[in-house]
Amino acid sequence: MPLEVLPGPPPPIGGCLFARSWPSRIDHKQEVLDILVAELLGRGFITAEEEPWAVLVLDEVVVNAMLHGNEGDPTLSVVIALFADDTGRWVMTVRDQGQGFDPASLPDPEDPASLLLEHGRGIRIMKEWLADLVYYERGACAWLARQRADRPIAAPPESP
Amino acid sequence: MPCDFLTVERYDKIVLAKVTKDRLLDPISINALADELNSLVDKHMHISLILELSEVSFLSSAMLGKLVAVYKNVIKLSKGRMAITGVKPAIMPLFKITQLDKMMQFAPDAQEVILLYRRKPL
Repeated sequence: MPLEVLPGPPPPIGGCLFARSWPSRIDHKQEVLDILVAELLGRGFITAEEEPWAVLVLDEVVVNAMLHGNEGDPTLSVVIALFADDTGRWVMTVRDQGQGFDPASLPDPEDPASLLLEHGRGIRIMKEWLADLVYYERGACAWLARQRADRPIAAPPESP
Repeated sequence: MPCDFLTVERYDKIVLAKVTKDRLLDPISINALADELNSLVDKHMHISLILELSEVSFLSSAMLGKLVAVYKNVIKLSKGRMAITGVKPAIMPLFKITQLDKMMQFAPDAQEVILLYRRKPL
């Protein structure tokens, strides 16, 4: 599935559980990741076993926002918010102040010619772990969603 | 910048490089490791490089990109070979979904690969 990049704002989600803004300073990245992972773990949205994936995915999205979206300009901010929707998913939005991006500029990870490229794997990795990854506002707002670990989807009843 | 979390053992043209760091996420660490590995490759024609990652719990796609660059140097410049060993089960899926497992050789144990490379020198 190609990455969805939509022009408009993300749809309303529900109650915001956490929102914070950081300057685009990559030397602050570890602090950002630690806070976000602690939020997800503390609320039971992810398990300890999921932490390596959460760190990886959040690292990708935060680096993209700081270095690509805001082009590393420390006067520009990255705003990160966490929500829980009514379908049992947690949703995180990561908004930068850049101009967005053209998904056609990203290498196709399914193309064998991409195998030897030294970039272009981040989106593929993020999509693997997340239930949903959509970029709104022409790419300046990442929308990440995943089923909450404390609200797993109930298995369908066994047929008689 | 020197890489203070890489230990290197040489057995003739077989080079065992062990990463002694839990997280390969920050750009400084990633660049330092890639520079150190590339300098090893530059020094050895027909290198057999074994990269031991058993202590690594977190790595980013930027690190994967650097490993691809090192791999390309091993194959094209040194005309050598490269194996990655000891990858934790939690992060092995990263190599699979990015299809790097089809490109590079993986093994659970570095000693196993050393024996294999000794039996089949380049």
